[in-house]
Amino acid sequence: MGIPAIGKTGVYINVAPPGEKFSRFFSLLYALVVRDLTGRYRRSSLGIWWAFLQPVILMLLFNMLRGFVDIPSDGLPYVLFSYAALVPWTFFTNSVAACGPSILTNAEVIKKIALPREVFPLAAVTATAFDFFMSGIILAGMMAWFKVTVGLALLWLPVLVVLVVAISYAVGILIAALGTFRKDFIFATPFLTQAWLFATPVIYPLSTVPEKWRSIYMLNPMVGVIEGFRNVLLKASAPPLEALGISVVVTMALLALSWPIFRRLSSYFADVL
Amino acid sequence: MSDEVMVRIEGLWKRYGLPVPEVLRKGWNLLRNRNASDADTDGGPWALKDINLEIKRGETIGIVGRNGAGKSTLLKVLAGVTAPTRGRVEICGRLFPMIELNAGLNMELTGRENVRLLGAVMGLSRREIEHKLPDIEEFTELGEWFDKPVRTFSSGMLARLGFGVAVNIQSDVILIDETFAVGDLKFQNKSLARVKELRESGATILLVSHSLETLQFVSRSGILLEQGRVVASGSALEAINSYETLVFRSEKERLEHRARSRITSEEANIYNARLYDNNGQTLTEIRAGEPFGVEVDLRLNKRLQLPMFSIGIHNAQGILCKWNISKEDGLAEPGPPSRYLVRAWYPENYLMNGAYEIHFAVRDGASFETLERLAGILSFAVIGTNRARGIVAGECQWELIPLSDDLDRNAC
Repeated sequence: MGIPAIGKTGVYINVAPPGEKFSRFFSLLYALVVRDLTGRYRRSSLGIWWAFLQPVILMLLFNMLRGFVDIPSDGLPYVLFSYAALVPWTFFTNSVAACGPSILTNAEVIKKIALPREVFPLAAVTATAFDFFMSGIILAGMMAWFKVTVGLALLWLPVLVVLVVAISYAVGILIAALGTFRKDFIFATPFLTQAWLFATPVIYPLSTVPEKWRSIYMLNPMVGVIEGFRNVLLKASAPPLEALGISVVVTMALLALSWPIFRRLSSYFADVL
Repeated sequence: MSDEVMVRIEGLWKRYGLPVPEVLRKGWNLLRNRNASDADTDGGPWALKDINLEIKRGETIGIVGRNGAGKSTLLKVLAGVTAPTRGRVEICGRLFPMIELNAGLNMELTGRENVRLLGAVMGLSRREIEHKLPDIEEFTELGEWFDKPVRTFSSGMLARLGFGVAVNIQSDVILIDETFAVGDLKFQNKSLARVKELRESGATILLVSHSLETLQFVSRSGILLEQGRVVASGSALEAINSYETLVFRSEKERLEHRARSRITSEEANIYNARLYDNNGQTLTEIRAGEPFGVEVDLRLNKRLQLPMFSIGIHNAQGILCKWNISKEDGLAEPGPPSRYLVRAWYPENYLMNGAYEIHFAVRDGASFETLERLAGILSFAVIGTNRARGIVAGECQWELIPLSDDLDRNAC
């Protein structure tokens, strides 16, 4: 007997009836999202209003900041200018923050039952998307108040939403996978997103970024998304195609990096939890 | 039972933790300036070593072994929770692990909402869950509590909820780990009955439990794991018997060590103890119903007017099954300082199958002062072939007597 040769890895095969996997995956995703949403707000007085409050508070803070420092806003009311960017931005940071510990908080389940592990960060992103749509309603209300005219460019909106979900998921699973082994990655997340905020045209327009830095600056996939949201919603124009294109490519590259890492590490989650 | 193989395990080895490629590990060790020979132990110990197993449809297998023998690890690998380090595991059909079921409960949700969640976690589609909900609600017997948040539940109620979902799931392969120790006695029996029902419906069941009674009741065959290896396999009873012998042997080693370390006592020294049969031969295990004796080799260092010995036999649950004291049984010899063999003979053995431990004490019969006491001076297994359960063995004669007047009425 003795210890077998190094290099052979174990194989696990479960021949389950086909066709059931997808329906089970979605049933699980649905149940987890329902749990996250109902569990999250059930014992708070403001409940679902927190979904609206968070970007509103941030917007008010940045408005105060603008009282001291001059920040251009492409001729738009600054409230609207910043809020339109803060809605997708808050979604991004909240999803990444929710993804990070999503494996650790579900440890009890993951340790005991074989599940597709990618469902946990996906449920975290989906539950956050609910807040995203809620704050989107306020944004629509503000746009009506400021009498913003929208055009056919609105058709770009689904593309931008899919893109921001993809970026959040790509970054989220990377942090979830690494953070499960070393919590440092989870602790570092708020600082990462904070720094990322200043490298993204959320509180200032893209036009203020010096021309010579712009090619590096646009490697940030959130640039295309945030500028896209502003163009589509407030300026009735298409997103900046160059930035959007780079954003798509970078997101794909991110996913191509983080997905295999997550898959590889996920089979050992149960060992370290 | 058909010949269709549901679970096939070939050369399975499992070690916990992320496997680090050899090159990286060597590099890391160099960086940390460690000895290259440490590299082998870096990955930690093997939890499972070279397991080979083939389980056919409809088989029920009990897995026994001491703590840390690898039972739960084996179930985890089978469930796909953790990846095998080497070897191959194949499972045909729908697999369902019943492993500590209330893991996925959310305290803020109600019982009903949690059932939906657990159902999804356990792999049911939404339609299946809604279809099963009434059955589950009835099985758990929670009544109005079913619609209250589970944070208000008692632990027994929580367990019932988890088990209610688990046993109402149809599956080809079922893995069960220590789930029977939940709820009150009535619920335990109900759960056991349900597991038997699953077995009759043709499910393949793998069961890990420390309750040998449960194992005997549910499983037809068994394997014994020790330090990650399968050391015995056969019928459930055979596996349980080997397990008891194993536990007995290791206990004995521990006690011999302890007995040796006790010879410094002033008034009495205990040197050795053994079990013997009616030929005086040393026994390692006792057959059910056979008489046996306990012999203790000791030395009294002080003159005693009336030395008094007591022997208590405890079962694995710590229940005192038999306690005897030499004075009451008529031993009234005086004890000048000398070395003695104390013998206690049990002509009637009503001990049920299982593991036992003997506690022995020497007292001064005049002052009742305890001179020496040794808990667990011996431990042994009682081994038999029948399936009866309980604490006391002994015959039982059954009769079925038809009542004539009632019989007539039904015949009409």
